[in-house]
Amino acid sequence: MRHRTWGERCIDIANVLLLGFIALAMLAPFWYVAAVSFASYKEFLQRDIVWFPKEWVLSAYEYIFASESFVRSVGVTVLVTVIGTAVNLACTSTFAYTLSRPVIGQRVMLVLVLFTLLFSAGMIPTYLIVKETGLLNSIWALILPIAINPFNLIVMRQFFVGMPGELHEAAVMDGANELKVFWNIMLPLSKPSLAAFALFYAVMHWNNYFTGILYLNEPEKWPIQVILRQMIVVGEAQTALGSGHILLEHAPPAETVQMAAIIVATVPILVVYPFLQKHFAKGVMLGSVKG
Amino acid sequence: MHCRGKAWAAAALAGAIIVTSACGGEDEGAGRTNEGGAPDGQKKHTITMIDFRYGAFPPTGGKGLQMINEKFNVDFKPQYVVRSDYDQKLSAIVASGDIPDIIVMEGPDSNFYKWAKQGAFLPLNELLDKYPTMKLIPDNIRKAVTVNGKIYAIQKYLTENYQLTPVIRKDWLDRLGLAVPKNYDELKQVAIAFTKNDPDGNGKHDTYGLAMSANINPSYAMGAYWDLEAWYHQNADGQLIPGMISEARKQHIAWLADLYKEGAITKDFALLNWAQTNKEFYSGKAGIFIGTPRGMNPTYMQGLVDLSPNAQIVPIPPFQAPDGSQGFVSSPGFYGIVMLNAKLAKEPDKVAKIMEMIDYGRKFVPLEQRNAGNADFDWLNGKEGQGYTIENGNVRREVEEKGLAPINYLPDKTMWAPNDAANGYSKEYTVPLLRDLAASLEKMHGETKHLVNPINEVFSETRAAKDTELSRFLYTEQTKMIFGEKPLSDWDAMVKEWSDKGGAQIIKEVNESLKANGYAGPQWK
Repeated sequence: MRHRTWGERCIDIANVLLLGFIALAMLAPFWYVAAVSFASYKEFLQRDIVWFPKEWVLSAYEYIFASESFVRSVGVTVLVTVIGTAVNLACTSTFAYTLSRPVIGQRVMLVLVLFTLLFSAGMIPTYLIVKETGLLNSIWALILPIAINPFNLIVMRQFFVGMPGELHEAAVMDGANELKVFWNIMLPLSKPSLAAFALFYAVMHWNNYFTGILYLNEPEKWPIQVILRQMIVVGEAQTALGSGHILLEHAPPAETVQMAAIIVATVPILVVYPFLQKHFAKGVMLGSVKG
Repeated sequence: MHCRGKAWAAAALAGAIIVTSACGGEDEGAGRTNEGGAPDGQKKHTITMIDFRYGAFPPTGGKGLQMINEKFNVDFKPQYVVRSDYDQKLSAIVASGDIPDIIVMEGPDSNFYKWAKQGAFLPLNELLDKYPTMKLIPDNIRKAVTVNGKIYAIQKYLTENYQLTPVIRKDWLDRLGLAVPKNYDELKQVAIAFTKNDPDGNGKHDTYGLAMSANINPSYAMGAYWDLEAWYHQNADGQLIPGMISEARKQHIAWLADLYKEGAITKDFALLNWAQTNKEFYSGKAGIFIGTPRGMNPTYMQGLVDLSPNAQIVPIPPFQAPDGSQGFVSSPGFYGIVMLNAKLAKEPDKVAKIMEMIDYGRKFVPLEQRNAGNADFDWLNGKEGQGYTIENGNVRREVEEKGLAPINYLPDKTMWAPNDAANGYSKEYTVPLLRDLAASLEKMHGETKHLVNPINEVFSETRAAKDTELSRFLYTEQTKMIFGEKPLSDWDAMVKEWSDKGGAQIIKEVNESLKANGYAGPQWK
């Protein structure tokens, strides 16, 4: 091992300290949420800040899992995330591949895609489209309007463009049509980038709440984020009551329950990360550096 | 072979998309065909509604909903939206033109006036007095939802006088040998004593006086004279002005700044939200906060009882103001409004049905009759043993999430009480400390006068558009004055800036409307 100078060590120590501190700053709020979710309400009231509950209780989680709507909404979110991500990947990869080939009107298409990247129609026109296409009050309203993210599409197109042209030529020589080239050659080669985009899309679906509120009328169809928001916002709403003529009729769930809800809504998607992490780092860089 | 399987799966997925979206379309169409048919007394009307909820939502097909459908022979289709995103969803729905029959809002905000002027709502002038519970809405309160002489909303009940007012830890006062304060000097001494003299007797320096959160809330106005929301004071031109920029408020801010210097106010109040501030009081750190007879949080109060079993809380009655007045401000007198779709003008039968449903939910039942013996009460609450039970004489309702009672679904479920005290709010609490506090607050409100706040009867366009932003400016400036970052001598400059940014226009519009309404000086009830 190479001998390290005093200066280098200093920099290393400073680096570790600095990065450690940043990591801690990121972790602390999450840890606090977790700690409070396991604390009793009395302890939460009593102590200024709970880093480690004196007494671990599960009552907040029992409360949440006893709530039918909460459990159901987790199911809805899982469903939307799985189907939505599949639709996203199917649409994005096929479109991206098409745009990477010299097809007629490719330029125009690309400009149209770029246009949506820069300008969006806003809430009400989009609502009107969803309504007129008959998607209102169906979970497809959470999936189809965002089936393709233009940014992801362009990055993926770059990825396909970056693939050696000889690959395509060779496949065609062997008698493959475009569909076959895409399915048997290009897709298997782009697994890392697919994994990365799967993660982007899955996180987007998991965290999406506003389209749920806007397009779904029946509480039975709401995803977890809508329910979570409802639980947390009750507490917030009361901040606004300065004047005091708004009633506190609906007591918000205790903070411990709110924290438990946050944990339940966050942990599943967090667990997905480590599995996709290795592809993720690789995939994001792909396409950015061209031959 | 393997590949083909995947291809089939993809095809099936695409098929599923088409089928499901087609189903969505059919549902929509079905809802529409039922509307707009020939009026017929026996016809089963489909009634749609959009409403908001702060807390849990009733389920789509709950027992309470079936009960409504059977009783009124309707097909009632309500939808509920979480309050924080309700305004946006409602805007989208109104813009789409497919407005439900019944629209519920929290209050007449700028959207309400905009839509009313555009003719989205049905005028109710002739209808209101036909229904006993709506006839009870006082004329001065109706003014808040009247646009160009037309009343566009049914207002939901709110007690006139039960506002949030200051309360204090009586057990702390007793331990220090102090009395409930009667003026601001005494209140200051008490708040300082709570900070420095260990009122909870635990030997630690861990208590203080006033619990406060961001936006100087609560503001501890001990009467209408100091209240930031009351339009009570006049400026040099004889116009009424909001309390927020009055001379009385300036003195009040100076008083708060003194207390802050002594450490008698929540130290980082500018950063605390309401839940955190509640914690300051209910964990036994602060000794002075606010309370009201209706809708206080039993979880919080039980928390305090668990931590300090000997806690006692009493209201602080209003102080006598320099001008001799004494009393808190009254409320707008309503909370929540129900509007009907203007298109219903063609369907008087359906309107009658909707009005009947709303009227039924508002029917007042005296406290002693709130049990299975009263058929209306029993039905509205989903029948004893199903929607509610009676424990030790208290009504215990099932949670709204189960949707077992018609009141979980009806557009208006608030009884219109003949007077504040008839509600008997204090008797509905199960935590004894809360029960006692609510009862003493009811007593105090019953014994003192309340200023009818003129601002509740008028509408100012500029105020609707700019008040939030302008108030934020005042809160920020005044918070700095309490912190001592800005001297109180900047007060006049602050008021001037507020006026220039639109405040002067608000004052002008409000005063013109008041004049048109025939306002003749402060009115106490």
